[in-house]
Amino acid sequence: MNAIETTNLTKYYDSLCAVDHLTLSVNNEIFALLGPNGSGKTTSVLMLTTLLNPNEGSAMVCGHDITREGEEVRKKLSYVPQDMAVDIKLTGRENVRFFADLYGVPHAGDRVDEVLAVMELNDRADDLIRTYSGGMRRRLELAQALVHEPSVLFLDEPTIGLDVAARKKIWEHIQALRKKGMTIFVTTHYMDEADQFCDRVGIISKGRIAALGTPVELKARLMKDVITARIEGTFIPPAVDGVSFVGQSGDEVSFTAENGREALPLLADALGKSGCSVRALSLREPTLDDVFLQAVGQQEEPHGFEDGKFRIMLRRRK
Amino acid sequence: MRGIITYMKRDFLKWTRGKVAVISALVMPAAWLVFVGLALPVKFTGNYLDFITPGILVMTMLSAGLSGGALLMFDKILGFLNKFLALPTPRGSILVGKILFITGRGLVQTTIILVIALLIGATLLSPVQYALTYLVLFLFGVLISAFATTIALYLDDHDSYSAFNTMISLPLFFTSSALMPYGVMPAWLATIAHFNPLSFAIDSVRDVTAGGFPTLPILVLLVLTSVVLAVCVQVFRRVTV
Repeated sequence: MNAIETTNLTKYYDSLCAVDHLTLSVNNEIFALLGPNGSGKTTSVLMLTTLLNPNEGSAMVCGHDITREGEEVRKKLSYVPQDMAVDIKLTGRENVRFFADLYGVPHAGDRVDEVLAVMELNDRADDLIRTYSGGMRRRLELAQALVHEPSVLFLDEPTIGLDVAARKKIWEHIQALRKKGMTIFVTTHYMDEADQFCDRVGIISKGRIAALGTPVELKARLMKDVITARIEGTFIPPAVDGVSFVGQSGDEVSFTAENGREALPLLADALGKSGCSVRALSLREPTLDDVFLQAVGQQEEPHGFEDGKFRIMLRRRK
Repeated sequence: MRGIITYMKRDFLKWTRGKVAVISALVMPAAWLVFVGLALPVKFTGNYLDFITPGILVMTMLSAGLSGGALLMFDKILGFLNKFLALPTPRGSILVGKILFITGRGLVQTTIILVIALLIGATLLSPVQYALTYLVLFLFGVLISAFATTIALYLDDHDSYSAFNTMISLPLFFTSSALMPYGVMPAWLATIAHFNPLSFAIDSVRDVTAGGFPTLPILVLLVLTSVVLAVCVQVFRRVTV
């Protein structure tokens, strides 16, 4: 049984289709739903956390149907929304205790101490939230979410508005939770974070999954690495597995490779053996940004560039 | 039940942490009590303070209820509501907890006003009379807080709600039987006052202080409260699913 299983999950806001027949399986991994603003990320999370009813399709969380067994679903999950909602007039401990009481956690006092310690907040636990930084507030929300030991954790833009150090810390905590066997469903529009920290990524655009897989797979599938070499001497295209020669311009030759990093030393050796000397080698790996733009960009092509509108716009500027 | 108590506890804790709000809520009714109750030269009663105290108690409850209406709307705007709705705790306890908190906070405030009234010369009542007074104030509190919460959830915008609040609170107070008996009012005002829900609460408390048992006004309040609560639950369900 997968932790999250959706079948043709669909949501309309009037005539706008926010989520369009979403079919996904997520289990014991950090899964990121990646997409631009308004692509249907939050709507998907709201449906999975039983805050919104789908118009079509169904979804199961830990084997329970989200529309028919809402309460069972809510017992299994925790949800941290995008806007940081913690009571600033209460202390960290009071904020977490409040959630422990709502969940009816046994030995609430001990459990609250435990999660505060996990989130490295125990030395500030009795200070008012007013004095907490953004990163601490986010960690406090994670502590609230963890207090009842959920099986699935939904995080909507967990690192939005945080500085680099705070972001890294949040992700370290998320990865530690994943190691303990929790399923984590994240939405984000930070490509680098999804690439670095998530096990699997679904790129969503206009309510549809445009690409799905591990970051490595996605990058390999959509685009090959590009290797450029500057050489001296006569050039004979070498034969290296997984590398294909693209072209030569002056003293620069370029290749594409399935896996650039591994191909780089092989290529350098082969070039050396063929009798030319290599002056410089450069490798550009495709990033998740490239994958994202390719996946999302394809859908936007039909609009094209409207020459007439552009001219009118220029005229108005004068 | 556990959920209701936990939600109330949160609101009470937050309320007591804001010292200014606790005190400022008491200033207006206390000022009415002292500056109007003690100073106004009226001929229809020997002890105007005893006459006006029920009116001021109900007014305290009214402003506590109206200001509390914004609480659930703020929970919604600030994202707390979504977190609460994703909990296994029964969703209705969010609404019930909020209404009971607003009413409970109003009862704490009316108690302080009652003590002030006694200190400046109001007549001491019997325990049964106080119990009945609190029953009426509780019913009225639930009525007003459910009404205010409904309006705030419906408007879904703080500026509109505070405008609504300012718009209705004083007219409601002045067109009730708080300041004078129906006999002294101009006929047109007396007609309006008879239909004002505040008058039902005020007349009930006055009836209690005079030694009676206000069966009819309490029944009317009960019916009104149930109707408003039912509407409130509907609006809450609509904004939450």
